[in-house]
Amino acid sequence: MAKTRIIYRQILIFLVFAALIVVPLTFTIVKQVNMMILQEEREMSPQQAEGTAHREFSSKLLDQIAPFVFYILVMALMLSIFFSRRMLISLKGLQRGSQAMKDGNLDIQLEVTSDDELGDVTRAFNEMVAALNAKTAELKQKDVYVNAMLDPLWVVDEENTIQDINPAFTRLFGYSREQVVGSSIYDFCDERNAAIIRGQMEQRRDRGMSSIYELSLMGRDGSTIPVLVSGSPILSGDRIVGRIGILKDFRDQKELRNELQHSKEYAETVMDSIEDQLIVIDKDYRIVRANRRAVLESRGQVIGEFCHIAAHERGRPCWTEGRECPAQMVFITGQNYRTTHEHVGRAGERRFHEIVASPIKDAAGNVLHVIELIRDVTERMKHEEEIFNKNRELIALNSVASLLNKSLRPEEIFSKVLDKMIEMIRMDGGGIFFIDEMKREMTCQYHRGISDEFIKTMGRIRLGEDIPGRVAVSGQVLTTSDLSKDHRIERSIIKHSGIKGYCCIPIRGKERIIGVFCLFSFRVHVFSTEEVNILNSLGEMTGVALENVRLYEKMRELYEQQRRRREEEQSQILSISTKLGSALELKDVLGSVLDVIRTIFNADFAWLLLSDAEGNLVLKSAAFPTGGGNEVIYPRGVSSIEGYAVDRKAPTVIADIRAETKFFVSPVLSHLAAQSVIAVPMHIGDKTVGAFALYYVGLREFREEELHFLRIIVNILAVSIERADYYVRAIVEKGLSDTILQSVADGIMTVDRSSRIIAVNKAFERMTGMPAPEAFGLPVCDVFRYSVENMDFRLALGECMEGALEGRRASMEADMVSASGYVIPVLISSSPVLDSAGTVTGVVNLLRDISKEKEMDRMKTDLIRSVSHEFRTPLSAIVGMTEMILEGDVDDARLRKYLHTILSEGVRLSNMVSDLLSIARIESGKETLRRDVIDVNAFLGHLTGSFSASIKQKGARVGYDVDAVRNFVGDEEKLTQVLMNLMDNALTFSDEGCIVEITVKRRDDILEIALADNGWGIDEADIPHLTERFFRGSHKDKVKGTGLGLALCSDIIRMHGGTMRIESAVGVGTTVLLSLPYKESI
Amino acid sequence: MSKVIVVDDEPFILMMIEDKLRKARIDVITLRDSRVAVETIKRERPDLVILDWMMPEVSGIELCRTIKNDPGLKDIPVFMLTAKGQDADEQLGLRSGVSRYITKPFSPKALLEMVQEILTK
Repeated sequence: MAKTRIIYRQILIFLVFAALIVVPLTFTIVKQVNMMILQEEREMSPQQAEGTAHREFSSKLLDQIAPFVFYILVMALMLSIFFSRRMLISLKGLQRGSQAMKDGNLDIQLEVTSDDELGDVTRAFNEMVAALNAKTAELKQKDVYVNAMLDPLWVVDEENTIQDINPAFTRLFGYSREQVVGSSIYDFCDERNAAIIRGQMEQRRDRGMSSIYELSLMGRDGSTIPVLVSGSPILSGDRIVGRIGILKDFRDQKELRNELQHSKEYAETVMDSIEDQLIVIDKDYRIVRANRRAVLESRGQVIGEFCHIAAHERGRPCWTEGRECPAQMVFITGQNYRTTHEHVGRAGERRFHEIVASPIKDAAGNVLHVIELIRDVTERMKHEEEIFNKNRELIALNSVASLLNKSLRPEEIFSKVLDKMIEMIRMDGGGIFFIDEMKREMTCQYHRGISDEFIKTMGRIRLGEDIPGRVAVSGQVLTTSDLSKDHRIERSIIKHSGIKGYCCIPIRGKERIIGVFCLFSFRVHVFSTEEVNILNSLGEMTGVALENVRLYEKMRELYEQQRRRREEEQSQILSISTKLGSALELKDVLGSVLDVIRTIFNADFAWLLLSDAEGNLVLKSAAFPTGGGNEVIYPRGVSSIEGYAVDRKAPTVIADIRAETKFFVSPVLSHLAAQSVIAVPMHIGDKTVGAFALYYVGLREFREEELHFLRIIVNILAVSIERADYYVRAIVEKGLSDTILQSVADGIMTVDRSSRIIAVNKAFERMTGMPAPEAFGLPVCDVFRYSVENMDFRLALGECMEGALEGRRASMEADMVSASGYVIPVLISSSPVLDSAGTVTGVVNLLRDISKEKEMDRMKTDLIRSVSHEFRTPLSAIVGMTEMILEGDVDDARLRKYLHTILSEGVRLSNMVSDLLSIARIESGKETLRRDVIDVNAFLGHLTGSFSASIKQKGARVGYDVDAVRNFVGDEEKLTQVLMNLMDNALTFSDEGCIVEITVKRRDDILEIALADNGWGIDEADIPHLTERFFRGSHKDKVKGTGLGLALCSDIIRMHGGTMRIESAVGVGTTVLLSLPYKESI
Repeated sequence: MSKVIVVDDEPFILMMIEDKLRKARIDVITLRDSRVAVETIKRERPDLVILDWMMPEVSGIELCRTIKNDPGLKDIPVFMLTAKGQDADEQLGLRSGVSRYITKPFSPKALLEMVQEILTK
């Protein structure tokens, strides 16, 4: 919108007003003038009037208009001024506004009253005020920030004079703003710090850069406060006009740094206490840091030396020995690197070092240093190597065994066996010489690691010459660790060929040596006994296999017919050798292996006897359940087929053992009625292992190939047994004490210091239901977790073990829930296992089943309770009545009754005592049974005789029937006690004239004695309680008794292994039936 | 004249107590069958009941509880005769409202003194 200019508007207003007034006024005036002229004309002539009229009109008009025009102009002016007043209002507003602004009120907004220049000015003014207002608010906000800043802040000019500070500055240093502003910053620090500031200024000023530096400033209270200054320049254009500095309180950080320093020392202490060598290597492969161990190892200054001196005794870097340098690997890859190096130790011995190298990187990821942790793992490596070698031997042995069983091609057998042998004992090469009996010479047919040239010169040896020739003749294995230095071997073509380790093994055929294996190494090789044994048996097996092969070829046709069966046999043999190969616990598989062999050869019985050190033949295993083996079957010197075969070193076949008188057959086999027997001896080299024998109930002939087949198997067996022996020997010592432990009835758990089980016995397995192999390694208390009710038991066990671990014996009783769910009271006793130095290395825990003791305890308590109770009643009569008599309370008429009661209660008491003693003796197990031969007639005669008085008194009839039984075995005295008790009961609980019948009958091996009466009978409800101690039935009012008789009878019969049954009906009578195991004589 | 009911399955005990108390001019009713004891007590309204603990059918403790739970009988004091001698038993007896606990064997003279003491109260 186009802005109206004030001047135009004023003119316009003026013109409008003028027009408005002038136009009507002019009309009025003209009209007035005309009227005046008309009036004059009427007075003058028309001609005269014409000219005069015009002149007069003008002057008159002028006369009329002039005052009016003046007036009008004044009026118009007045009016326009009046209208311009509004502009003045706007101007006044502006004036007020600027005054308010000056007073600091920035919240004003002026009203825009016109759309002219003044309007613009007002608007501009408003905008300016708003902008000012915003800026002020922003500044205020900034101030709030600055004031709220926790870190002190100062603003300094070029001369380092402080211009401003924030409240935090005051807070930290104590100075008020007034004290600080205008001062130089150097006033607040000492000379050293001033120098720092100057230095910083110098450095940074030119470049206008920010700087961070440490400073110590003096506080108002005189303290020195460390601060970290972060300074930035204040720029005006390109010029630095001052600096703003944030001063961070550095006291805490200072402490932190001290702590850091301490922790650094700590880390170094830790580093030094590491048993491994620790070195830090720089890019030049020089050591910059090393821990105590590393310094010790290298015996001297290490810092600054090359890294390899830390582990390499000879000071040669890894790469010179053909191995990668771990530090280099880390520098290249930037990754951790782990390796194991073989180094040469101080004494020239092999040392293994496990090296873990890790990088130390800078922020950009460049590897600055490498840390190496070097651990001596020689022991572990040697151990691993040993295990590895052992395993390799076993694997080789097994593969050879299965190879021999599978292969029918001699070339394959020999080259494979040769390879295996070389691999197994880590030789450099070898060969096989075969003997040509006709030419009396040996030729090398298979070889490894030897040049053909060499074979040409030494591939043919005369029998008896050089080493192979001598071995072929002697049949003895020859080994030498260093051929060149062995004085036994002077005349040999290979003496100075560079070969050092050397061995020569004969290959034994059926009856003769068919060749030799030769193995050599260019290094010194000490042959271990195990190696020699294994080589020896390989030679043996190979020989047999070779002959076997020849037989196979010969009998191919025959075998083709029986191929199916053979295949089965083969797989069985394979399974035998696999079984034997995989099992270290030979006895576990031997039984099943024997059974397989027995099945293959259709034998009725097979067993394996081993020669022990004394020359006895001991049962190792048999294809039928035996007492577990290890019993001596044929002591030394007894002539047996097996012994004969062993002596002959050849399989021995006896067509009919019954026809042979020179052989003794073990009574173990007496039930077998065997006829044909084949015994195959087992040898490893010259060592006799034992013999294997098959027994046939009928007659059996053995074909040649079957014999050889058997020999192979027996050879495998022999090797396996021998091999298993390595392991067995190691645990023999333990086994011996183990046997003792196993046979102990108490559960035994041996634990190590961390309470983990290392050994348990059979009783433990029984109690917990946990097989020993599962228990090993378990924390002992975990074993009993199978029942939640074992909580208390576990606590008790824990407590005992704690005591034992402290070195003292501890024992506690606790109830243990057994695997089968029974609660067994157990006495836990824990004793420490001490080593020779007296240190506790473990704990032996004994769990004793004390159920029996507990039961005895309970019985004792029961007995005491019932005794005390039962005794008190008769005692009441004796004590009370006696007192009354003495007090004179009882008159003569009643005195007799009193005395009678006292007597009968006294007798009852006495009977009770004797019955109780009998029961107690029986129940405590102290009472033993005599074995008397009892004559039934005499026994019953004596019994009835002793009751004659009562019988007569009661008018009873007593009879007995003994059937065909004359004698029986039992404890006469005790059985008499039983019968007298029963007889007494029968007569007591009956009316006069009763009938008692005793019947003795034998039913197979049971003797039945029945005693029947026609007395009062017993309540049905009472019958089950009759044998309880002190129980007295419904007739107790009528009859005095102890309530112990039947309990005693029942105990005695039970002692005899018999039972007592009571049948009764009230008013009909009672029958007591005793059943005893019958034996006529001792 | 005071009236005492004695319940025990042993006849000679009843005889002893009866003789002793009668001599002291106390009326005694003896019972051997504990099953009829409650109705006899209700009928006779004795000044004291002497019970044997261990009786077939209904035990002394059961009888005592029946008496103490019967509003009409609960004020009748009860003496308990027993062959038991354990503390725990005594505790149980006393909790059942037994006034006196007399362990067998006992002195008839001492019993009489205890009976007279409670009857004069």
